[in-house]
Amino acid sequence: MSTGLASGRRVIGRLAGANGDAGGARAAASRRERTQVFLARLAAGLGILVLWQVCAMAFAPAYIARPTGILGQLPAVGGDQAFWSAAGSTLLAVVEGLAIAIVIGTVLGLVMGRMRDIDRALRLYVDSFYAMPIVALVPLLTVWFGYTPTARLAVIVMEAILPIVFSVAEGGRTLSAEFTDVARAYRAPWWRVWGGIALPASLPYLLAGIDLAIGRALVGAVVAEFIASLNGLGYYILFNVRSFRENDAMVALAVLVVFALAVRGLVGLFVRRGLPWYRAG
Amino acid sequence: MTRVHAHWRAFLGYAVGIAAGAVAWQLIGLNSAGFVFVPLTTTLSSLGSLISDGSLPSALASSFSVYAVGEAAAIVAGAAVGLLFARRVILRRAFEPYLVALYSTPMVALIPFLLALIGLGFWPKVIVVFLFAFFPVEFATQRGAQSIAPELLDVARSFRTPEPKIWRHVVVPYTVPYLMTGVRQALARGLVGMIAAEFFLSAGGLGSLLITQSEQFDTGAMLAVTLVITLTGVILMAIGRTVERRFARWRVTS
Repeated sequence: MSTGLASGRRVIGRLAGANGDAGGARAAASRRERTQVFLARLAAGLGILVLWQVCAMAFAPAYIARPTGILGQLPAVGGDQAFWSAAGSTLLAVVEGLAIAIVIGTVLGLVMGRMRDIDRALRLYVDSFYAMPIVALVPLLTVWFGYTPTARLAVIVMEAILPIVFSVAEGGRTLSAEFTDVARAYRAPWWRVWGGIALPASLPYLLAGIDLAIGRALVGAVVAEFIASLNGLGYYILFNVRSFRENDAMVALAVLVVFALAVRGLVGLFVRRGLPWYRAG
Repeated sequence: MTRVHAHWRAFLGYAVGIAAGAVAWQLIGLNSAGFVFVPLTTTLSSLGSLISDGSLPSALASSFSVYAVGEAAAIVAGAAVGLLFARRVILRRAFEPYLVALYSTPMVALIPFLLALIGLGFWPKVIVVFLFAFFPVEFATQRGAQSIAPELLDVARSFRTPEPKIWRHVVVPYTVPYLMTGVRQALARGLVGMIAAEFFLSAGGLGSLLITQSEQFDTGAMLAVTLVITLTGVILMAIGRTVERRFARWRVTS
């Protein structure tokens, strides 16, 4: 059914493209529209920057960050060894934590989604931890792991794993019985049912979980760095703001935002390219 | 008969889960150093003394006032901006990339800037809660209002309904279920903002209580406060889900 839909869409696309004059006119209109959108965005962006600059110059002390200041500090920050070491430390930790969370979270989520009794025993804990702010565990985790990068990694994994488990479990629960029935009829061994049916079927849910996990992981990493004074972008921000170098700190903040956008963009790209039958809701 | 059996089995599953958790907590606590982990019973007695010496109630009151003001402001502003952006295409298109970027920004990283700009106290914390909670509400509202079936608007327009009435009778009722989904997410995110803000922006509230206890290596008290925070999160989530389900009935299904 899914391939039917996809090929249907492709046929419609081809038809639209071959529609001669009408298609050409529509393309021209959409080109004009695209230029309009681009100009509107440019104007909005410039407006925000100008408003920020003017407010900062009129009302704020000189050390408060402002667009021209950030631009002026870019080369200095780019040549700063401490900045790159901080960026590497935080981003590598987030990637490592996400990887751990994806592996454990997928297994746990699938088991919970496919096995009712285990789901019942664990659901309460997953739900509770998902509902609570994980950052509240940071002081406890620093007592357990000390003021070390391990504490930060633990926070990242805790933050990232919950939306993944939650989402994958839902994918496992909603797996259509037709598939498992067919597998049973052909006496498929358990590892083929899990690896061949349940795992691929829950892939869209895993990606939806990762999309939620990345923002949470960054929040966890930054809070851990604030509290434990660990080398990283969060601490770089804290340290530079305290030393009245807010413009430098803003560059670090921008790196965090770009990283989050990049990961979410990759997830979206993978959904569109790898799973064309699936539409993120 | 089978339904009753399934019911019991489900209940048993939950009961076994809770009992195993409690026993594990007690056993791990008994077998680890006092500053690492303490048994459930010690945690509960810590909870009792935190309540009787008044530190927990006053922290809860402080946290709740910050949370309530920040959430309320975020819901009102998020709904208003979401509706406006959905109804004014040019605004939506112009600001969309910046909203997406802000939605992906780890808001905790703004706390040092806020501290430098306006210092410690009640309002900086409210701003942090607001920043955490605003964007889910705005996004959900906008997505809802954008998805209004064109037929509904066409009918309203063909009767020459003025814009305020279109809002009152079509846009707002259509959007409320979506808004409530955003509110549920905002309730959880706001709580994260509240704890993070209290870590760094105040001497008061649950977050600040946790920091003090961790400096004293008072693990029993930390676990007790964490338990209270978890309970708060679970209750808020239950409220959010109930409200969401209540308004889901308004959803137009075609």
